[in-house]
Amino acid sequence: MIRLLIIAIVTSTLFGCAVRPPMYSWGEYESSLYASYKDPSKVEALQVTLESQIAESERLKQKVPPGMYAELGTLYLQSGKTDTAIAYYSKERNAWPESRGMMDALIKSLELRKNPPAEQAAK
Amino acid sequence: MKSLLAVTAVATLLAGCAGQQGVQKDMSAFRAAPPRSILVVPIANKSLDVDAPNYVLATLPIPLAEKGYYVFPVNTAKVILEQEGLYEGDRVHQEPPEVLAKLFDADAVLYVTINRWDAQYAIITTTVTVEFDYKLVNRDGTVIWDNRKTMQYSPQSSNSGSAIAILIAAAINAAITRAAPNYMPLAKQANSQALSQGPNALPDGPYRVPIEQGKTQR
Repeated sequence: MIRLLIIAIVTSTLFGCAVRPPMYSWGEYESSLYASYKDPSKVEALQVTLESQIAESERLKQKVPPGMYAELGTLYLQSGKTDTAIAYYSKERNAWPESRGMMDALIKSLELRKNPPAEQAAK
Repeated sequence: MKSLLAVTAVATLLAGCAGQQGVQKDMSAFRAAPPRSILVVPIANKSLDVDAPNYVLATLPIPLAEKGYYVFPVNTAKVILEQEGLYEGDRVHQEPPEVLAKLFDADAVLYVTINRWDAQYAIITTTVTVEFDYKLVNRDGTVIWDNRKTMQYSPQSSNSGSAIAILIAAAINAAITRAAPNYMPLAKQANSQALSQGPNALPDGPYRVPIEQGKTQR
């Protein structure tokens, strides 16, 4: 009887409206993005956060959350590291088919901007 | 012991599904073209707080992605739109959704508007309020889901101790809230309820793994 009730509690918690296990590991993504908007000098901290979270997910062979590779790529782009940006946009593209249109457009425009269009750094 | 467990089980069920009341809206437009990917464009702002739109933008990717959608990188999208000369969320919202969806190759565009983001100060308590409108538009321009959420918070003093102690505690709470009203937990609660609770919750997207096969990652 007690076992049945425990099963009922666990099931109701799992299937209930509020509690579902997260699908992705976000780390400090949200609070770091917020902090970078609040104080632009925190952009570097956001970059460190994204890098360590991506490394952690890759190490544990978990799927990196949607958008995370691309957000890191954009931070590299803004600090002038175009090749690294392209590499992260390519990672986003390969991880998420829905991002292909946007990532292809970004990569293409960045490669056109590189002058002369030498070898590609995209992995 | 058994009755205690039964009470707990019922309480869990009730608490888990709080906020189920209300009438469900017509979801046929959504079901006709369920999106896989959602572009969250910068937030429009009817409040007086100029920083609120960016703060709210930061709270949206996680709940949407955890609903099972591909969510376009919000900060990258914001940077790209700025390069197109669209700096303010209000300005972005005037663009045709078809154009925005095409620019990013998105299935749907989520427009969020801040109606309220304010703190009302009284002598002892301060009430913090946020209110958001959510509108999800298909790439052909059809509105496929919308919702509105208002959240309020007033710090409560613990009801132990003497009346004077309660008053002092309330005054301290009000002073703290006044110095730095903390809107972010309210904004997150509003998102969570608007997207995931009640009859008008956003349906799950394609990446949401059924619980039976889901892997707990923490």
